[in-house]
Amino acid sequence: MNTVAVVHEYHAGHPSGLWRWITTTNHKDIGTLYLCFSLLMFFVGGAFAMLIRAELWTPGMQLMDPEFFNEMTALHGLVMIFGAIMPAFVGLANWMIPMMVGAPDMALPRMNNWSFWILPFAFILLLSTLFMPGGAAGAGWTMYPPLFLQSGVAMPFQVFAIHLMGISSVMGGINIIATILNLRAPGMSLMKMPMFVWSWLITAYLLIAVMPVLAGAVTMMLMDKYFGTSFFNAAGGGDPVLYQHVFWFFGHPEVYIMILPAFGIISEIIPTFSRKPLFGYTSMVFAIASIAFLSFIVWAHHMFTVGMPLAADLFFMFTTMLIAVPTGVKVFNWVATMWRGALSFETPMLFAVAFVFLFTIGGFSGVMLALVPADWQYHQTYFVVAHFHYVLVTGSAFAIMGAVYYWLPKWTGHMYNETLAKWHFWLSVISVNVLYFPMHFLGLAGMPRRIPDYPVQFTDLNQIVSVGGFVFGASQLLFVACIILCVRGGKKAEARAWDGAHGLEWTLPSPAPYHSFAEPPAPNLIWTHPYQGS
Amino acid sequence: MLLKNPKQILCIALAVTLAALSGSALAMDLNMPVGVTPMSHDVYDLHMYAFWMCVGIGVVVFSLIIISMIWHRKAAGHKAAQFHENTLLEVIWTIIPFIILIALAIPAARVLVKMTNTSDPDLTIKIEGYQWKWQYDYLQQGFSYFSMLAADSNAARQLDSKINPFSVPHYLRDVDHPMVVPTGKKIRLLITANDVIHSWYVPDFAFKMDAIPGFVNQGWIEVDQPGTYRGGCTELCGRGHAFMPVVVVAESPADYQKWLAAMRASNGVYINPHTLQAENYGSPVAYAPPQLNFVTPSMPAAAATGAVPSTPGPGAAAAPAFTPAAAGPVTKAATAAPEKTWTMASAMARGKKVFDDNCAACHMSDGKGNAAMGVPAIAGGPLPNGPLAAHISLVLHGKGIMPAWGNALSDADLAAVITFERNSFGNHGGGLVQPADIARAKTAH
Repeated sequence: MNTVAVVHEYHAGHPSGLWRWITTTNHKDIGTLYLCFSLLMFFVGGAFAMLIRAELWTPGMQLMDPEFFNEMTALHGLVMIFGAIMPAFVGLANWMIPMMVGAPDMALPRMNNWSFWILPFAFILLLSTLFMPGGAAGAGWTMYPPLFLQSGVAMPFQVFAIHLMGISSVMGGINIIATILNLRAPGMSLMKMPMFVWSWLITAYLLIAVMPVLAGAVTMMLMDKYFGTSFFNAAGGGDPVLYQHVFWFFGHPEVYIMILPAFGIISEIIPTFSRKPLFGYTSMVFAIASIAFLSFIVWAHHMFTVGMPLAADLFFMFTTMLIAVPTGVKVFNWVATMWRGALSFETPMLFAVAFVFLFTIGGFSGVMLALVPADWQYHQTYFVVAHFHYVLVTGSAFAIMGAVYYWLPKWTGHMYNETLAKWHFWLSVISVNVLYFPMHFLGLAGMPRRIPDYPVQFTDLNQIVSVGGFVFGASQLLFVACIILCVRGGKKAEARAWDGAHGLEWTLPSPAPYHSFAEPPAPNLIWTHPYQGS
Repeated sequence: MLLKNPKQILCIALAVTLAALSGSALAMDLNMPVGVTPMSHDVYDLHMYAFWMCVGIGVVVFSLIIISMIWHRKAAGHKAAQFHENTLLEVIWTIIPFIILIALAIPAARVLVKMTNTSDPDLTIKIEGYQWKWQYDYLQQGFSYFSMLAADSNAARQLDSKINPFSVPHYLRDVDHPMVVPTGKKIRLLITANDVIHSWYVPDFAFKMDAIPGFVNQGWIEVDQPGTYRGGCTELCGRGHAFMPVVVVAESPADYQKWLAAMRASNGVYINPHTLQAENYGSPVAYAPPQLNFVTPSMPAAAATGAVPSTPGPGAAAAPAFTPAAAGPVTKAATAAPEKTWTMASAMARGKKVFDDNCAACHMSDGKGNAAMGVPAIAGGPLPNGPLAAHISLVLHGKGIMPAWGNALSDADLAAVITFERNSFGNHGGGLVQPADIARAKTAH
């Protein structure tokens, strides 16, 4: 492999083979580990989703016990969020942030190694609960008590797995902040940073702020189950709804942890393929910061039916609606970036444009969900499932796929196969809408989420959804094929793989050398950086 | 090359849109139900208002992107402009969304204030969620009863039941004992739960409220027109989450009074409101209650389930679903008569019924339990073959995922089911438990 050859160029006698990957402190190696891990988890979580869609093909229970179905919905959510989306963004941060800010590596390389290598153990712990007596916990990824407290031996294992994921995320967040604040090349002021770096700086603060809150919530549950406390037990003076408040105080910023880096990616890709500077750089930065701030004061919109006082309902409705303003600014700025550009539609751009369309649809249903009276109809139905899959799959996951195609030439030194990649895109974008759009209708017609069996009038739409799901799942094999083929060979990539690309990473050769920017880049490279024009 | 040509891309997009539209045409009603309460009408209007506003914004934004994708292509020879900011434009597109949001927030807040006003109700009904059934308590009338999934749905929904769900009337949307309410009255609902969090939801009422153990939530409904309205539990509550439907029968105030009188006189036996009406109107078969599905109340059942050819017509569907009251399972009050004394035969017969209705969901009808779920077997288990006191105590108070049945079943039913468990499935625990034994065990604590 190319990268291995490069290692030996720099470090004769450096460990090779498996030991290299276990002991590595190189940001590019660790980035690769994160990305491969998240791809694996994407398929594990995807396999759970395929089982869910297979059981929901037709009314009646055909394949599994209802409890196993609940385990699948819970693990699908946990694996996709903590195993696929978040590690993919951290992997991209590891690979790209040092190169984008002109740093030789991450600020804390050994901690970087540790924060990755915790993850495989966390997920072995989580997935091992499937094989325990009583099976995994079937209380949803949100783990609401008292239901979660009813799960058997799986419960403490799941709690510890979440602790480990949280430790990994917090360490990753600290590392990213330390890198961005300390290791920027001379001349790169904060307001000259690429948008991807900005989005990750803010995301990392969110991670550090909220992951301990989740750890606290699940620990309180552990105490309730094994140490006789009653935090969430009404009979002992506690309150089950308290858990929901604490959980969503983590959960809503968590939602933005999964979308802000996507905003950063889209803000890199669209200017490149529009051959035009990003429109409104400053307002983009402030929009991300306002969204991050608002994320801390909207959490209870996940709980409009728990019976809050009117004043609380009104407060959370208004703050939630407010998020549409900075989010709208971002969408308008992307459109203005494309406007009067010289557009070309290579695969990264296709994913970015699809992101703008489909994320906006997810945003629309988000505004509708914010209206408390209407939410009484939408809440806990497939309308919500449609909403958050539009923002997380056609939002976050599409941005990640776009980013992979965008930076693969830089990582591997080869151009990917454009024809195969376009097939991947078109199959994905069509099937994903067949998969998620009808869910809006199912939800409006009253089909609750997380049910293993449904009344017969929902059959047609569920079958359309399942077909979309199977095609979308199978299409992702093309993604893997594209990546493997690109790693193994292909047209040689130039240093500036895309003619409209800007940023320090494109001043390095492709593939990027194992150690880059051992010397800081010349300030003139930053000054000609066109994010703010000349 | 395929998919390189934008014309092909547009053709594909068009084909997808058409396919999606034709796909939707064959399904049932795709929108939120207008419903039958003043609140559901307001909510529907709010939903459509927000929807069209989103459509309007979407048309503008998406048109700009599409125009840009067509006009400003490099392949079409367009040269990139280099502008990258415009303060006036950015201020405008910050302020306009703000104004749109205010235009949405005001009507939403108005409806919300109305929804939360539970003052001056004409009557109050307490709803309690259990794993996995509902209890309706008519507080001012002094009776209550449980409402659980209808037996035919319950049989069909078992893994590998070999029963086609399409052959079951109102599959998963029918219960043994529906809640009954009068039309045109403001009904306050007090909602709580016994074990885990549930959520009581009827789309036609635009009403959904979480049932939280230890806390009482409240809300209100006022149903415009008589009919049968169906919904279910919408908060994940474990293995039977999909199997605890909500069915509400709305009756004219006069019919409702008739039902109340019958219920008060029935000594706790549930009286199906339709059997009362059927007597008034002649033969039971001739009476076809309005088939009000999740969709709109005015829509005939055939249209609502139009995509499902094997569903029987309204009349046929209604008849088997509404069993005569006497044949249905008796409720708490009926068997709670303290002087009740079981004979072995009667206890075993009753116990089997109680077991099938309440215990078989987890312990399975053959008593073998469910190892995958961590549910122990009754057959050969240590409790039904061990000391009686421990057996009674576990059933009364629960443990782990085993619910506490002490308040959920009558003493007589508890005695019967424990007797049944100790003398069936090859168990040799033996003994005939009497309601008095249960009462003693309860007070012993």
